[in-house]
Amino acid sequence: MTRAVLTIGKLAQAGGISTDALRYYEREGLMAPAAKTDSGYRLYGEDAVRRVRFIQHAQACGFTLAEIRELLHLRQSDSACCNDVRQRAIEKKLQLAAKIRAMQSMSAALERLIVECADGAQAVNECPILAALEQLDGDTERAP
Amino acid sequence: MKIELFHAPGCERCAPLMAELQAAAAMSGVEWCEINVLDSLERAVELGVLTLPALAIDGVLVFATLPTPAQLREALRQRDKDA
Repeated sequence: MTRAVLTIGKLAQAGGISTDALRYYEREGLMAPAAKTDSGYRLYGEDAVRRVRFIQHAQACGFTLAEIRELLHLRQSDSACCNDVRQRAIEKKLQLAAKIRAMQSMSAALERLIVECADGAQAVNECPILAALEQLDGDTERAP
Repeated sequence: MKIELFHAPGCERCAPLMAELQAAAAMSGVEWCEINVLDSLERAVELGVLTLPALAIDGVLVFATLPTPAQLREALRQRDKDA
């Protein structure tokens, strides 16, 4: 058990995060204060800074807060192994690759529309981009 | 017909199930292909694989989790009938 030594402000400063974000993490079940003062102020243990950084790194890798909660559980589970974490990392990579593919498709659709409106000099009611978006057929609609 | 099974190597729980499925596929005379998703990420994304292991039949993602051998046989039978 680590000593409850950090106020929420100190933890926020050490983790480079806002106090609102810390309270949000607490509501989402990712963080919990180790103790509260008699006045009800949250106090965190020294390990809380590591936990905040873990959450931030995982978010930067695309994990949702719910997925991060699972990773934190795995980290504390005796029956889990590194491969369980690896499996989740690979699935996340797959999901990111699918999103990248979808966004590339959207970008290509926009590119086609932009090319059709090369000079941008028409009146708004003759805008080929708006007209194409109204039609919503062909490749633009099928983009995954 | 061709089965593509996408997996990440190292899953101890998957190995025996995959062997059972491979045997079921062999009995049905279907081509069996195990794909390490890290080697073929593009192919997996193309077929819409988001979770592992996943199984595709003739280039269509049919099972997002491992089926039982009976479920696989039924899917193959159905596909054969529809062809």
